[in-house]
Amino acid sequence: MAGMDPVWWEYIPYILQGAIWTFTLVGGGLALGFAIGVPVAMGQKYGPTWLKAVLDAYVWFFRGTPLVVLLFLFYWGVFPVLLGIKLDALTTSIIVLGLRSGAYQSQIFRGALNSVDEGQMLAARALGMTKWQAITNIILPQALRIAIPGWTNEYAIILKDSAICFTLGVIEILTRTRYVVISTGEALGPFLFAGILYIIFTYGGTKVFNIIYEKYHIPGLVGKGV
Amino acid sequence: MVGDEIVLRVENIHKRYKDQEVLKGVTFEVRRGETKVIAGPSGAGKSTLLRCINLLTKPDKGRVWLEGVELTDPETNINKMRQKIGFVFQEFNLFHHLTALENVMIGLTKVKKLPKDVARKKAEEALLTVHITEDLWHKYPAQLSGGQKQRVAIARALAMDPVIILYDEPTSALDPQLVGEVLRVMEELARKGVTGLVVTHEIGFALEVADEILFMYGGRILERGPPREVVFSPKHEVTRKFFENITKLYGGK
Repeated sequence: MAGMDPVWWEYIPYILQGAIWTFTLVGGGLALGFAIGVPVAMGQKYGPTWLKAVLDAYVWFFRGTPLVVLLFLFYWGVFPVLLGIKLDALTTSIIVLGLRSGAYQSQIFRGALNSVDEGQMLAARALGMTKWQAITNIILPQALRIAIPGWTNEYAIILKDSAICFTLGVIEILTRTRYVVISTGEALGPFLFAGILYIIFTYGGTKVFNIIYEKYHIPGLVGKGV
Repeated sequence: MVGDEIVLRVENIHKRYKDQEVLKGVTFEVRRGETKVIAGPSGAGKSTLLRCINLLTKPDKGRVWLEGVELTDPETNINKMRQKIGFVFQEFNLFHHLTALENVMIGLTKVKKLPKDVARKKAEEALLTVHITEDLWHKYPAQLSGGQKQRVAIARALAMDPVIILYDEPTSALDPQLVGEVLRVMEELARKGVTGLVVTHEIGFALEVADEILFMYGGRILERGPPREVVFSPKHEVTRKFFENITKLYGGK
């Protein structure tokens, strides 16, 4: 009955549907990472010493641990055991990707904040702005623009990292590709297809962010050393 | 133009950075409508003194009053008071991400909380006062010349209706051919009665515009008086030497 086996390319729509899950992971992870990364960077730059120490520890933990370890740790350890909540694989994956991306993004934003020259803060304070007003009106709008190229890179990284979520059974591109490989007995075609899919998404997304960068780019506003 | 009313009073300001005492007790006052020039060799503490006035730098000792309100009193809302003190930086420090017009507006909308249309009108007036014409209003700082940048910075200070404008070496970062346009604007403002305290090496400006020169040396005011007196017949040898050198350098009158 071997001849009745379906050929792998008949599963292409099935694999492509995995992109919805992949982009849910990427979008969720990036958004959560952004929501974490910006305040962490601000805390690291402007916060009191004790806060900086706490944030440094957070950044080091999530930058220094393999993603697959974090996924297992949170899925089977932190959420069910430590916090006593049962979260599904997708939610756990987004949270872990977000926490990890937040650690990386905080360093992107910290570098961008540092690259805004001190005179900007001085001029803002001299006008009568509070420190908070100066940060939100002057420093952040510049830093966020400066951070876009670094942030584009983070998108490319998290996109590829999202594949590791197959270990928790999230039915994203790689998980589906593996099903196809198992059910058709063909490995080269499906995995190559998946690989090319990631390349296309990396390239396309990077292009989109470049357009955003051009749109919000301001003449002369380039961070030093970012 | 110069009234009797003292708008700024600086009393016995001290500032020390680690092992170096930058200011060793500086006292003076500025009257409404007056233009006062602070001159002196680098390291004399001129810039530090200016920053101690609006508390961008906290003085170790001494007190500062603006229109009778003590800025150095911890109870005073310094953000509120800084709105009344224009500050013009040597390096302009225009906000990079805002156009010329937005640079002048932001203090009015975000700090003074003026409605946008009112702020815009005020900002346009201020820009015209410093001869920044409409074609430049929507340019970003990087698209302006140094002289234009500094004039926008002056407009940014001016639009806030300050009690006094502090100028910290406003022409030192400019190419020589751009110095004139900035000095001209400062002179026009002084003639209109805008109170100014100017740290500068531009002796020509001091002689033409200033009501008094404070000559600083080693963290103190070494001597003070009418510009011609201090420049041409100073009491101290260091003062004489300083102005002699500076006249050679800057070609003052």
